Amino acid sequence: MSRAELFIIVGVALFVFGAARMLLTGDLIRRVVALNVAGAGVFLILMSLATVRDASEPDPVLHALVLTGIVITVSITGFALALIRRIERTEIVRSGPRESDG
Amino acid sequence: MIDVFDVLLGVAVLLGAAAALYGSRRIVGVMSFLVLGLLLTVLWARLGAPDIAIAEAAIASGVTGAFLLAAATDHPETSHEEGNVGRRTLMVLEAAIGVSAVTLVGVAAVSAARIAPADPLEVQASAAVADAVVDHPITAVLLDFRAYDTLLEIAVLAAAVVAALALLCDSRLTRVAWVTETRPVVLGFVRLIAPVVVMLAGWLLVAGSTRPGGAFQAGAMLTGVFLLLYLSGRARSMVTGKWLVPAALIGLAVFVAAGVGTFAAGREWLDVADGWGGVVVLLIEAALTVSIGAGLAALFIAGNPERA
Repeated sequence: MSRAELFIIVGVALFVFGAARMLLTGDLIRRVVALNVAGAGVFLILMSLATVRDASEPDPVLHALVLTGIVITVSITGFALALIRRIERTEIVRSGPRESDG
Repeated sequence: MIDVFDVLLGVAVLLGAAAALYGSRRIVGVMSFLVLGLLLTVLWARLGAPDIAIAEAAIASGVTGAFLLAAATDHPETSHEEGNVGRRTLMVLEAAIGVSAVTLVGVAAVSAARIAPADPLEVQASAAVADAVVDHPITAVLLDFRAYDTLLEIAVLAAAVVAALALLCDSRLTRVAWVTETRPVVLGFVRLIAPVVVMLAGWLLVAGSTRPGGAFQAGAMLTGVFLLLYLSGRARSMVTGKWLVPAALIGLAVFVAAGVGTFAAGREWLDVADGWGGVVVLLIEAALTVSIGAGLAALFIAGNPERA
């Protein structure tokens, strides 16, 4: 059991439990957080794999893939949260009168 | 080999993730996710990846944290109460499925990691870095060997920004209710820190050619500056109005233009020449930095167009 294998297992755990929570929860914001946790698990697996062959010189290809993935994750998260806030604002306006006028 | 610190870090990451996933209130989950981001930053540094550590701290923790906190403080309580139909059964089921899936996938992943590939991609990449237009291997992969990935990534960001702005009546953010801030300490701090962070972003951008850093980290720093100015009421410097969409799209535009240019010059698509390569890559990266900075800041404000 090397360091890379330990972190691969931690990454798999983050991915599995994050994905399960994302599918099973009803709360929209928690769903986005779970998606981000699952994504972090995938990044952790990739980053651990990058050190398997030579820990002193990790694999630049996998690092570049993770960097790309991080930017895409934050874009999707931002858009998802803009949608969620829009949805919840609509719900508040419908359920009770409140001064919020865009 | 594994030492105690690795085990502790792994356990801390698992605990942080558990708190983020199963926290009782939204705000608890979001705060735990920020802690998880910090732990991951340490972990990336531990795995010999300074680039990813900077990106994680700036983008994944910083900007995502700002998004999530703004959304969670809007409505701190969970919105949809999960129905109490056999809740305990569901929890047991989730735990059982989770544990069995972790066991299966974990064993598969670890055994897959033990197989040594015959001709590893990383060896090819490391060998080719000597001929690349930039010295830093990760930047070389991002903007020379696998430029398509980066092109599509910036396209995803541009699409997200345009889609988020399309949700608003005021899609150019010209009529946003700007924050007003009067506390002198906050204003003084912002006045002091904003130019420093802008300078740091510029340094990260230029340094990315030879050492850790690059457009993505620099863009996230720029987003940080925009958000600081927005939250402290100094919104005059925020990119809005007719410049907003062009700023969010310039990275994509310059990237495509570079592709067309190389194609017109009779080379492969996005195959930058050696003589000009370094300059072209830096130009693309500068445009990407502007796009990422303005785009992510616009995403933040688009989620928050009015203050009730």
